[in-house]
Amino acid sequence: MADTTTPVKEIKIPVADPNDPYAVPAAMPSSVDHAVRSFDVNDYPMPDRKQDEWRYTPIERINEFFTVFKPSGETQIEVSMIDGSPLAEGIKLSQVKLGEGLSGTVSKPNDRVSAVEWNSGATATVLELNGEIAQPVLVKVHGAGEDLDAFHLVIAAADRAHADVVVEHDGDARLAEGIEITTGKDSHISTTFIQEWAKTAKHVGNHRIHVGEGASLRHSVVTLSGDIVRIRMDQDFGGEQGDLNMLGIYFVDPGEHIEHRTMVVHNHPECKSRVVYKGALDGKGAHSTWVGNALIQPTAPGTDSYELNRNLVLTPGAIADSEPNLEIENGNIIGAGHASSVGRFDDEELFYLESRGIPETEARKLVVRGFFGELVEEIGIPAISEHLMDVIDRRLARGEDAAMTQVLEDK
Amino acid sequence: MSTLEIKDLHVHVETKEGTKEILKGASLTVHSGETHAIMGPNGSGKSTLAYTLAGHPKYVVDSGEALLDGQDILKMTPDERAKAGLFLAMQYPVEVPGVSMTNFLRTAKTEIDGEAPGIRQWAKDLSAAMKRLKMDPKFASRSVNEGFSGGEKKRAEVLQLELLKPKFAILDETDSGLDVDALRIVSEGVNRAKEANQFGILMVTHYTRILKYIKPDIVHVFADGHFVKTGGPELADELEENGYDAYLPEGADSESALA
Repeated sequence: MADTTTPVKEIKIPVADPNDPYAVPAAMPSSVDHAVRSFDVNDYPMPDRKQDEWRYTPIERINEFFTVFKPSGETQIEVSMIDGSPLAEGIKLSQVKLGEGLSGTVSKPNDRVSAVEWNSGATATVLELNGEIAQPVLVKVHGAGEDLDAFHLVIAAADRAHADVVVEHDGDARLAEGIEITTGKDSHISTTFIQEWAKTAKHVGNHRIHVGEGASLRHSVVTLSGDIVRIRMDQDFGGEQGDLNMLGIYFVDPGEHIEHRTMVVHNHPECKSRVVYKGALDGKGAHSTWVGNALIQPTAPGTDSYELNRNLVLTPGAIADSEPNLEIENGNIIGAGHASSVGRFDDEELFYLESRGIPETEARKLVVRGFFGELVEEIGIPAISEHLMDVIDRRLARGEDAAMTQVLEDK
Repeated sequence: MSTLEIKDLHVHVETKEGTKEILKGASLTVHSGETHAIMGPNGSGKSTLAYTLAGHPKYVVDSGEALLDGQDILKMTPDERAKAGLFLAMQYPVEVPGVSMTNFLRTAKTEIDGEAPGIRQWAKDLSAAMKRLKMDPKFASRSVNEGFSGGEKKRAEVLQLELLKPKFAILDETDSGLDVDALRIVSEGVNRAKEANQFGILMVTHYTRILKYIKPDIVHVFADGHFVKTGGPELADELEENGYDAYLPEGADSESALA
């Protein structure tokens, strides 16, 4: 990776002073020391709620994903540009056997279900992106019902590539999914994953992400439905000046469990990360979990990281678990902040809208739309943000009267 | 021609210290086209009257009625009251993050009228109304009241008043926090809207200065939860002269700050 045109920067790695262990936190035990990374299922214990990373998950509802299975192969995958046209120049789509080519190159599985996915699947879909691709690429994943299936997708962006990828999930499914994302030097990539599953769908996902030197990646996850959706995302940087922006939106209905776990690793100097997840929970037994881990390693001075999770509880009886974890092993950083909240509707906001003739149910929808809209606006890629607002409006428009649907559509 | 009749209204709020009665038998009748100024010392219950009429959940009605053309609005939800023709311009308009003014206004207009306004006509009306209130067109795309200055929020309230065309407008301390220019622009907006739609106005204010711009037909003094005196515009001049001392309970500290 040596680049002869830029001067080599000196990285000072702190050395522990046994007389003053807290002066150099790097000398303290790091979670990395005992985090398992392996392709072998047997390297992981059976998930159990006593284990930290499974403590919020109703594991009895997803135990079919804990042992290697024979995939049905019935999941339908379609890849095109977002307007439905054939793939543009600079995009290469291929299928490889798992473990060959680019598959399995971005880190390794990191929990039992991701190792099961790796060992159950047979092939990987590989999407290679080169140059400037004006329109977003759309990968449609249509679930095939109750038969267990595995899907593995690799998104590999070349150096200096500019591209956007949207992955949409719908239908009913029992899907174990592995996603590998690797971006080249100075590339600017966005990847957006939307889950609009049927109410009975189960989806266990694992994203392994590598952000290139000087590259920016905007990674968005929008989970709008599914009986249980659990997505774990682990990331690291490939060099200095990487910029990672992770954005999440979730909408949880009664009885659903929607879980997102982000693991941001700062392993190079002067990288920036932002993780912002927002969720709305509606009704009894709606359960969301967000666990945001950020690890700043001794090798990452000048790190700028921030993570935030906000939950809006729409009706009583919902549970939102929100847990930010920061592990900072380098004192020489710009920032490492976090914020987390679970709240109800603001009565004053609702009253204001109602006093203008807007019925309570519509007022609530407007507030929820605004709650997410703020986040979607930040995406800054009109094709993507419009698409997302459409998806959110579709979710909110359930049971809408004709006049209001009209207003939402015109918007 | 519409009539708003408030009859012997008793209202309390729940506080940490217990139940507190604020309105103690307030009665008032307002007709279309009339402008009533409701003046009184701080804490007399003027704003409570305004918010109770609009249906704020904090205020509990113990007895009394508020009939809009014979229909008791106190039995309606806040949105039903708005649809019946009531509008409250708030002293502190609420920020609603992520909801654009355009979307909010159109949604409100759709609900009040019972049908979505034609896009072209609506866009024209909106931009013309904003121009008259000297509002930056950028406001339309910003979130409702978010990051607006005090004066901008009040203009946005008057903008809604012009667009939603109510039968009765309650202006709660609309003059507070406005400089002379903003006060003039806002007052002109109210006068223009009244000219166009002939609604009745209940103008709640502590100061007399807004009365120079929005001329009241009737002036009321409100103290200790009810109306204590009613007169013509000359009553405002008298208040300007003497303050509210005469209307305060024995031993109360006057905080008169007539402008």
